[in-house]
This record gives sequence, structure tokens and C-alpha cells, in this order.
Amino acid sequence: MDFVGFLLTQCLNAFSQAAVLFFIACGLTLIFGIMRIINFAHGSLFMLGAYVGYSTVAATGSFWLALIVAPIVVGAVGIAFEKVFLSRLYARGDGGAYLMVTFGLAVIMGEMIRVIWGPHPHGVATPDILRGVVFLLDQPFPKYRLFLIALGVIAAISVWQFLERTRAGLLIRAVSQNAEMVQALGTDVQLVRTCVFGFGCAMAALGGVLAAPMVTAFLGMSASVIIDAFVIVIIGGMGSFLGSIIGSVLVAYVQVFGAYYFPNMALAIMYLLMLVILVVRPGGLLGKEE
Amino acid sequence: MTQKSKLILPGMTRRQVVKAGLAATAVAAAPGYMRTAGAATPIKIGIPTVITGGYAVLGSHVMRTAKLVKKMKDASGGVLGRPVEFLFKDTQGKPADCVRKCQELVERDDCRIFTGVVVSSEARAIMPKLDEWNSFFISHGNGDGRLTAELLVPNFFRANTSAPMGARTLALFLKNAEQNDFYAIGSDYAWGHSSVGAFETQIQNVGKNFAGKVFAPVGNKDYSTYITKIMQSGAQGCYVALQGDEGRAFYSQAQQYGLASRVTMVTEIVAQANIRALGKDSVGLTGSSRYPFTYETPENAAFVKRFTEEYPGELPDWSDGEMMQALDILFAAMEKADSTDAKKIVAAMEDLEVTSVKGATLMRKCDHQGENQGFVVRVSESSDYSEPIPQILNIYKREDVTPTCNSTEYAN
Repeated sequence: MDFVGFLLTQCLNAFSQAAVLFFIACGLTLIFGIMRIINFAHGSLFMLGAYVGYSTVAATGSFWLALIVAPIVVGAVGIAFEKVFLSRLYARGDGGAYLMVTFGLAVIMGEMIRVIWGPHPHGVATPDILRGVVFLLDQPFPKYRLFLIALGVIAAISVWQFLERTRAGLLIRAVSQNAEMVQALGTDVQLVRTCVFGFGCAMAALGGVLAAPMVTAFLGMSASVIIDAFVIVIIGGMGSFLGSIIGSVLVAYVQVFGAYYFPNMALAIMYLLMLVILVVRPGGLLGKEE
Repeated sequence: MTQKSKLILPGMTRRQVVKAGLAATAVAAAPGYMRTAGAATPIKIGIPTVITGGYAVLGSHVMRTAKLVKKMKDASGGVLGRPVEFLFKDTQGKPADCVRKCQELVERDDCRIFTGVVVSSEARAIMPKLDEWNSFFISHGNGDGRLTAELLVPNFFRANTSAPMGARTLALFLKNAEQNDFYAIGSDYAWGHSSVGAFETQIQNVGKNFAGKVFAPVGNKDYSTYITKIMQSGAQGCYVALQGDEGRAFYSQAQQYGLASRVTMVTEIVAQANIRALGKDSVGLTGSSRYPFTYETPENAAFVKRFTEEYPGELPDWSDGEMMQALDILFAAMEKADSTDAKKIVAAMEDLEVTSVKGATLMRKCDHQGENQGFVVRVSESSDYSEPIPQILNIYKREDVTPTCNSTEYAN
């Protein structure tokens, strides 16, 4: 394996990993940016997405349908949770209450998944059209990972453009900066919050479905991914959408190249990166120090 | 008692006589086992296992087999004429939690017999405490070879096939394989290191070249870098010591990379849970198996039949079979000792031979390691089952796959 070929495949490996991380981190950061809620249940919503995706594939045989059904179902779960529980806490403005409630949701959701789907893992087959490899500089690279990269780029650009160029996006950004003022101007801030929370949950679910063919759907999948997601959000800056993209890519690169060159310190390197960034820029790369 | 009640026997009212009569009739009419197993104090067996967390699948196997065994034992008169009671505790696979749960079992429940511990590092954590607790621990699945070598304590036995034994079995099988160079990937904890270390030694002992090794952190999700390393190594074979969530992630991603078409993958443990989750992608996977449910003996056939009746749609996994064997051995030692005292069980278990679902196993006195046969299987599709199953390719004698006493090494 020549070095250029190796470098190319490793970079693509990192981008494909970044794509999966982006889906969970962008929802997490949007929810924090708009609502100032650190959603501890985000990993569980990612896991729920994988399980709903598995059931959809099992019932219909279509992975593509799972990519639509899982975000809708999990987005609906997120909206219901926001309406029933979180909305009652806004008046208190107590960050600790949000933490406790979302942590409770994470625990309950984990147990509910165990009751509904059982403790055993469930595999989601790679769709036939994405099976196999393509050769890049004589190096094999999975078609499925190229699909992840493409979908990640499309999703990132779409959300970015939505936030920057649409009226709804403008409202979301305005709410994140001064919710009271937006409310005073006649916009239903509560509706914006509900929609953003549902959208963030749906994005996490999409990440879960996309991850399932690589790791299967299993009960422990929320624990590790939520840590990565928090690291990304901290690196990128809490509430910064572009920061979540940059953070995802940085963390994925550190994980992929760290595992290659420093396998004994692969995990530590990611936290080291976070620490360095926090020392240099305490608010994260694109975040504001509060 | 009211003053209106009549005394129909000296000192007893009519109601008291009727109640006593009903109770006596119920006892007389009850099946024999209820009069023996049901009447006595239960034998408490602690199961500090993984109920939540990354290894919950293995814990669920432990629990379902224990529940099945309780039904079977209680129905046949219990152990020492007493019913069996399993006390399940969730350790989450964490050594500190495992120690704490065992301590609770000892102090709160006066339970001094343990099994069903999933993770080797948990076993290592509780073993030094066994003497202090006056407790006995029989491993059903802990693979770290050192548990019956330098880490051995008197009140510990291992009924199951260890990591070195699995690696040895595979090395014997690969002795005549066309592949010459082997790479290894393992999970970065006790069992993974033990397994890869044993394979490294064993594969060189049979004349093959060991091309290198790498360890992935526990809980790792992305194996692209490791797959790249395996391909870079130029090895024709790769030994995989990854279990549970990590194993499935690796095989799923290896399939996406087409790794199996370039490198022959062999593994220390072929698990039915992984086979089911991976589906057809698991077909062709070759490895040693601690317990293949397809092993054809009367004892195993009876277990598989009873298991599939109890759990329709499920097939016994390696950890079900190992748990069944460990409990069979434990109960045989209790019957031999005629006691549930830890020290007496230890004495009775030394050099005890028990025939269970994996064939005859000898619990040797010198290091408390169970001498098990070694199985090599290949995952294949079968018209009899809705999912791929492990087909046995070869069985190696227990004396050929068990290390020398108090060691993870082999004489030849």
C-alpha cells in the first residue's frame, strides 16, 4: 500500500466517521443554541433511530424507507417530550432541571428499547446497491462509506443554507440570540423551540439508522456516541452549527489517525484535543464565551 | 376465637381441625419434589452479571440459562433436596461494581456461591476477596488465562474453556492451513490481550508466522483504521479476539471492506448472537467455539430441546452452554460434598469429572482449570434453522488443548 493511497483512504475513513458524528452533534448543538438545553437523551434518540430503522427494514425490506421513517418517528417522540416535559421548565430557567429531565428520558428510553426489542443486537444489512468496494489509487474503499460522506455533505450544506437563507432559519437564529425580543415581535418562540427540538432528534435518528449497518443496533450504542457528540460540541462551540461540522471532522480525524499512529492512546488524544482547544478558546472554536 | 366456637377435639375448635386437615391433605397430595425441594431452605447462588451495559447480551444468556436450570433442578428434587435460588445483580461489567455487588450478596443475603460473572477483569477483582468472604466462585465464561495461573486463589474454579485454550484449538486447526502469515486484532482489555498473546505463541508453535497485532479500545465503533492495518500487514489470515458489540462492529465493517475476500478471518469465539445479528454476512466465519449447540451428545440434545422449548425462536449460545456446564459441575460438587460450604465444595470439586453439554470435563486439582474439549466450527447456512449455525469441523481432545498446570503455556 503506497503512502498516497493510504493517506487518501484514511482521510475518507475520517470523513465517513465525521458524517455519522455530524448527524448527532448538529442536533445537539442546535438544541443547545436555541433552547440552552444540554440534551442528555440525545444518544438514546440516536439508538432509538437505529432500532426503528431496524424494524422498518425488517418489515419492509427497504433501508431507504428506514431513512425516512426513523427520523419522523423519533422526531415525533422528541416533539412530544418537549411539549409534555421540557416546555413546563422554561419559565424556571433552571439548567439543572433540564439535565435531570433529559437524563431521566435517556434512562427510560434505554429500558423501553430493551423491553420492546429485547437485549439482543439486531443487524441492519447494507443495501445491495451500496455493498462492495470501489478502488481509489488501488486501495479498496467501501461504497457505503462514500454514501455516508455524500449524505453528510448534502445534509450539512442543506441545514447551513436553511439556517442562513430562509425566513425560518432567520427566526431560529434570532431566537438563539434574543428569544424575548423575537417573542415581542409576534413570533411564536415556543413553536420554534418545539420544531428545533424535533428536528435535532430526527437528525440523531438519521445518524442511528446510518450507523446501524456498521455497528448493528444494540443497547450500548448510545453511551459511547453521546460522549463523542459532547466533545464535538465543546470543540466546535456550544450552539454553533458550523462549529459542529468542524468539530465532527476534527474528532473523526483524531480518532482515525490516532488509532493508526498511537493505538494505545487513541481515546486520550481526542480528549487532549478538547483540552487544548478549551485552553486556547474556552468557548470552543466558533462559540462565544459566556 | 369467639366463645361460640365448639371444641371438637381436646383443646381445638372445629375450624382449627378443618384447617389442619386441609393442610395435611395438601402436603400428602403434593408431588414428591415439592415435599423435598420446596420444604427446605433454598441454596442461594449469586449471579453478579452484566444486566445493563455493553455486555448485557452475555448477561442475558447467563440469566436465561440460570432460570431454566432452576426450573429443571427444582422439578427433579433440587440440589441436596433443596431448591435453588439465583440472586441476580447488575455489575454493568465494571470490576468495582462487581466487588460491591458480591459484598452485598455476602452481607445482606448470606450468599457465598458466585457464578455468571461476565468480564474477566470483574473476576480478577473479586477473586482476592473470596477467602475473606468465605465464598466460592466458579467461572462459566471468564477467558483470561491468568485466572488459573498466577492469579489463582483456592476458592476459584474455571469450568469453561479459557482464551489460551481457544487459541490453542484454533492453532492446532490452522497447523495444516494454506495461510502462513497471521495478524491479530484484540480488544484492549484482559481477555483480548490474553487471547491474542496465546494465539501469538500457539500459531508460532505450529510453524506459522505471526505478522503483528493491534488492540482496539473497549467500546470502539470505527474499525476502518484497524482494517487498513490488517490489509497493510500482508497477512493471509487474521485472528479476531473481539466480542459482543465490538465483534459485530468489526465484522460488519470488514464485510463492507471486502476483507474476507483478501484475508481469512478466524476467531477465538464464534457466538450465535453475532451470527444472528450479522445474518448471511457471518457465513464462512471460522473459529474455535467454547460451546457449539450443534454438538451431538444425548446430554446436549436434551439441553437444546429443553432450551428451545423454554425460549422459542432462540438457540443456545456459547455462554448458555458454558453456564449450563458450570452449574452442572457446581451441583455435582455440592452433592459430592453433601454441603454448600465453600471449603467443602472446593475439596469436592478437585479432580471431579462431570459429563455435561460439552462432554466430559475434568476439574483438575493442580490449578482448578476445567479440562474441556476444543471445538472448531464454521458458520454455515442450514435448512433446519432460520439463521446460520456453527457446523463443527473438528474436535480436539481436552488434554491437547488444556495448558500445563498453573500456566497459560503448553508443553509442545
